[in-house]
Amino acid sequence: MAQHDVEITISKTGEVKVHIKGAKGQSCLVYSKWLSQLIGKVKDQQLTSEHYEPDVRARIDLKQNLGIDE
Amino acid sequence: MGAVLVLTPVIIGSWPAIAAAVAGAASAMGLIVGESVKEIVKESQSTTEQSVELELSDSEVLTESMSTDQEVVLTKGTIELRVKRDERGRCSVCAKGTGHSELELKQMAEEFTQKLTQCFVYDKVMRELKNKDFQVVNEEVAEDESIRIHVRRWMD
Repeated sequence: MAQHDVEITISKTGEVKVHIKGAKGQSCLVYSKWLSQLIGKVKDQQLTSEHYEPDVRARIDLKQNLGIDE
Repeated sequence: MGAVLVLTPVIIGSWPAIAAAVAGAASAMGLIVGESVKEIVKESQSTTEQSVELELSDSEVLTESMSTDQEVVLTKGTIELRVKRDERGRCSVCAKGTGHSELELKQMAEEFTQKLTQCFVYDKVMRELKNKDFQVVNEEVAEDESIRIHVRRWMD
């Protein structure tokens, strides 16, 4: 079981900062896509070291779970 | 680790969803909801009354469950805010009041639109996180008035 943490900060002006933790490989991009579809336009995105770790199966399961199209 | 995103919210929702965020923002700012939904009435404006209108550029009020010319009226002291769907389908906030400068009214309208955006995003995000079985680990309002939400889920 992998633990995925998402920290969301909604500023006073409405701007949203999201920190996705524990999602390895392309899984963090699945979360990124889901959140941008939910909230709005991506102003900035930075990938951290976990993004470069392989986790292909989890990515496929996650996309199905979040209901994201290719 | 993973990814850090900064997002500019786009407010797209039905009138009831936006009206709920309006009520939340009004409560947070100490505004009184005059009438929850009111038909627009053309009023004669006195010569000393200032009026400022702001539009939420990244917004779209879906017309479902909404009749033409509906709006929410909010008051605080001698300032009145009217939130409505404009002719382009966007959400707009009009501030007016006697004895206030245009700058004061503009600041009030801007502060309200920001709070409205924050409330709308919070409602939408929390609803969706719960739908996707995220557990809320922590939730707090910081000193800078930002809302911080920490959620967690487990994946096989």
